[in-house]
Amino acid sequence: MRKPYATLSVIFLVVFAIVASGCISGGGGEETETPKATQIVIGVTDKVTDLDPANAYDFYTWEVLNNIMEGLVKYKPGTLEIEPALAESWEVNEDSTVWTFHLRKDLKFADGTPLKAQDVVRSIERVMTIQGDPAWLVTDFVEKVEAKDDYTVVFYLKQPTSYFLALLTTPPYFPVHPDYAPDQIQSDQTAGGAGPYKITKWVRDEELVLEVNPNYYGEKPKTEKIIIKFYRDASTMRLALQNGEIDIAWRTLRPSDISSLKESGNFNVIEVPGGFIRYICLNTKNDPTSNVKVRQALAAALDRAEIAQKVFMGTVEPLYSLIPNGMWSHKDVFKEKYGDANLDLAKQLLSEAGYSESNPLEIQLWYTPTHYGDTEADLAQMLKEQWERTGMIKVTIKSAEWGTYIDYARNGQMQVYLLGWYPDYLDPDDYTTPFLKSTANSWAGTGYANPTVDELLTQAQRLTDQNERTKLYEQVQEILAEDVPYIPIIQGKLFVVTQKNVKGVVIGPDMIFRYSTLYKE
Amino acid sequence: MARGLGQYILIRALMIIPTILILYTLVFFFLRILPGNPVMAVVGTKNIPPEQLEHLMKMAGLDKPLYVQYFDYLKGVFQGDFGVTLAFPLGKPVWEYIAQRFPATLELALWAFTVSVLLGLITGVIGATKKGTKVDTSMRVYSIVAYTLFIPWFGMMLQYVFGIHLHWLPTSGRLDPGVDLQTITGLYVLDSILTANWEALVSSVRHLILPALTLGIVLSGAYTRLVRNNMVDVLSQDFIRAYYARGVADRKVLWYALKNAFIPVVTLMGLQFAILLGGAVLTETTFSWPGMGTFLVDRIDYRDYNAIQGAVIFFAFFVGVISLIVDIVYALLDPRVKY
Repeated sequence: MRKPYATLSVIFLVVFAIVASGCISGGGGEETETPKATQIVIGVTDKVTDLDPANAYDFYTWEVLNNIMEGLVKYKPGTLEIEPALAESWEVNEDSTVWTFHLRKDLKFADGTPLKAQDVVRSIERVMTIQGDPAWLVTDFVEKVEAKDDYTVVFYLKQPTSYFLALLTTPPYFPVHPDYAPDQIQSDQTAGGAGPYKITKWVRDEELVLEVNPNYYGEKPKTEKIIIKFYRDASTMRLALQNGEIDIAWRTLRPSDISSLKESGNFNVIEVPGGFIRYICLNTKNDPTSNVKVRQALAAALDRAEIAQKVFMGTVEPLYSLIPNGMWSHKDVFKEKYGDANLDLAKQLLSEAGYSESNPLEIQLWYTPTHYGDTEADLAQMLKEQWERTGMIKVTIKSAEWGTYIDYARNGQMQVYLLGWYPDYLDPDDYTTPFLKSTANSWAGTGYANPTVDELLTQAQRLTDQNERTKLYEQVQEILAEDVPYIPIIQGKLFVVTQKNVKGVVIGPDMIFRYSTLYKE
Repeated sequence: MARGLGQYILIRALMIIPTILILYTLVFFFLRILPGNPVMAVVGTKNIPPEQLEHLMKMAGLDKPLYVQYFDYLKGVFQGDFGVTLAFPLGKPVWEYIAQRFPATLELALWAFTVSVLLGLITGVIGATKKGTKVDTSMRVYSIVAYTLFIPWFGMMLQYVFGIHLHWLPTSGRLDPGVDLQTITGLYVLDSILTANWEALVSSVRHLILPALTLGIVLSGAYTRLVRNNMVDVLSQDFIRAYYARGVADRKVLWYALKNAFIPVVTLMGLQFAILLGGAVLTETTFSWPGMGTFLVDRIDYRDYNAIQGAVIFFAFFVGVISLIVDIVYALLDPRVKY
């Protein structure tokens, strides 16, 4: 048997040599040849879907688009203030239906192609023609867009829209390079827009490499190269962070991983107030949840603090309305009306609805096991425990994977189910209309329709005075707490974990991670 | 004999077609029964207006009657067109996507396969030659333990030891970030050699070691028992005793025995390799390996009908071809086989 052993030894020696040389030249981690200061590696478990603002409609792809493109206006980093971006100034007419923007004079795309008003028009008309997923953010509001001259863009809106500036910060409104086909979605198009970075390498599901855009009009990014590595799951990403293979792990680490990384003291753990919310949907059309007292009882029995602590290990905060904490017009309506873990009130409401200990309310609680992270099963279990503490409710937990779950939701086939929401634009309208307006909420499957609410929301969309709008949204929230088609549970915080030498992480309430402020010491 | 073999190959090759048709029909049918569709799975909880939803369904060809969808796709396949993806990324030719992912699976499969066969052979032969002793028993224990190892756990243990603890190897992916490699075949080790890229060669080999070991060790368990039992059978046969009687060296006798014992192993090898090509989902997930396994899981999540159908047909074809090759090799190796 000498021959096979000999061959084996040779193979082993060769492999060992390669491993050893790899260790010597590169170490267990980061870059091999480029000096450390000019490159930062970010790990994510999200995916980039379509590198085309005409169809991309998910959180992470929007983040990438925000780094390689820019819109007419943007949020001042770290704040909710809107500031000029590609446009240096703008005017709006009396009733907020005609918006005129003046572009900066020296704008160029990453390859030097000039960016003029006609490019803005072309990009927006492209979104309207292609009619991809997020197209409604344009087509529901914009009647027509024109280039009055090389540097002036005019939007004619279908109806008065006070939060049009917030809409303009979203990717469907970003000007794109002429290489983007005018009538086709181009998921792998890397020509980009006029943002601080440009794409130099794109290997789907493996790696995305961004380098500084030399033609960017604004402040140059601090780090020359940003490499984004895509991971299949959070555990592998955590290992990569610990092994020094990545500099930053963004968002999807599990609560238990975040705590242990924090305790180790070897990493920076940065908390970002998040705008994403988790809530329970209730079917208002079918028994037994069609009875408002049942829905109110479920709301009353909820102990949000216990959920935040036990299920999410403190990485979230309790939420008492659909409009998140920190946003203007937010009101803790559910707390005001029901208190916390109010078992007495819950029992009283249940009795009024005809239930008792011998005749308990039987409900099915649905969740989806992976889409919102793996804490979902625990969340469902906790809710079951809390509701059963009344002694008058019996909960059966059910689950379905995402594709099936969404189908059931849209068809109103579930009684009580868990969903989540990341905002498209930062305005109370995006946290109310999609849920409560009968012409916009069919996706959620609750069947909720209240003409008063519809009217209030429509009015609020048209008014420009924030105080006036606040009053309307407060009314809407009060009706929400009365009718309870949804029970808000918690509001998420986002976590960035970085190696000790990484600085400059600036993420505001818009939750967009702008890479241009990052640097390594 | 050549004519008989030729006919055999032809018939077996033709059999691949009805196999693919049956598989395609089953997949098509089941996908349509499952709740959800690519448009809804992608739209998710976004409040998109109904007219736009209709438009999206039309773009995906889902407004056509089922039998039209069935034959349209099949027609496309015969013309070499596997359709375009119906969910992110939208409109990308499925073939292009498969061509991008498959080499990753192929590379991992080749390495894991080599590890598993070598380990299986060594442990099997040791067990056979030391039959009845503690060594034999420990080889059998090895095979059971190896085969029942839970891949995500085992992979993670290796990641902890060789990555986090010793810092010898990377824990995931195919290349170090920022390493530039011009891809020709998609097999990174081969491409590095072809383009004389030393940095990429070192990087790609280092990234292959842990996943190949994880998968290879687990699969080797299957070979150990088969090799050991076949070797024991062969070693007890007359012609072996004749060799010993004639004074042929021990090593040579073992070698002859192994050659004979190897024949049934070839069948298992073919089967294992074909399964590996389907993408070892657990290994790919643990090591963030962008192969066919994770591709299929994602596409199923999105209900991407075209991509799933395309991948299944592609895979069925490949497995069919591999089975055919294995059978031919078997027929050539074993003169007792008649065709």
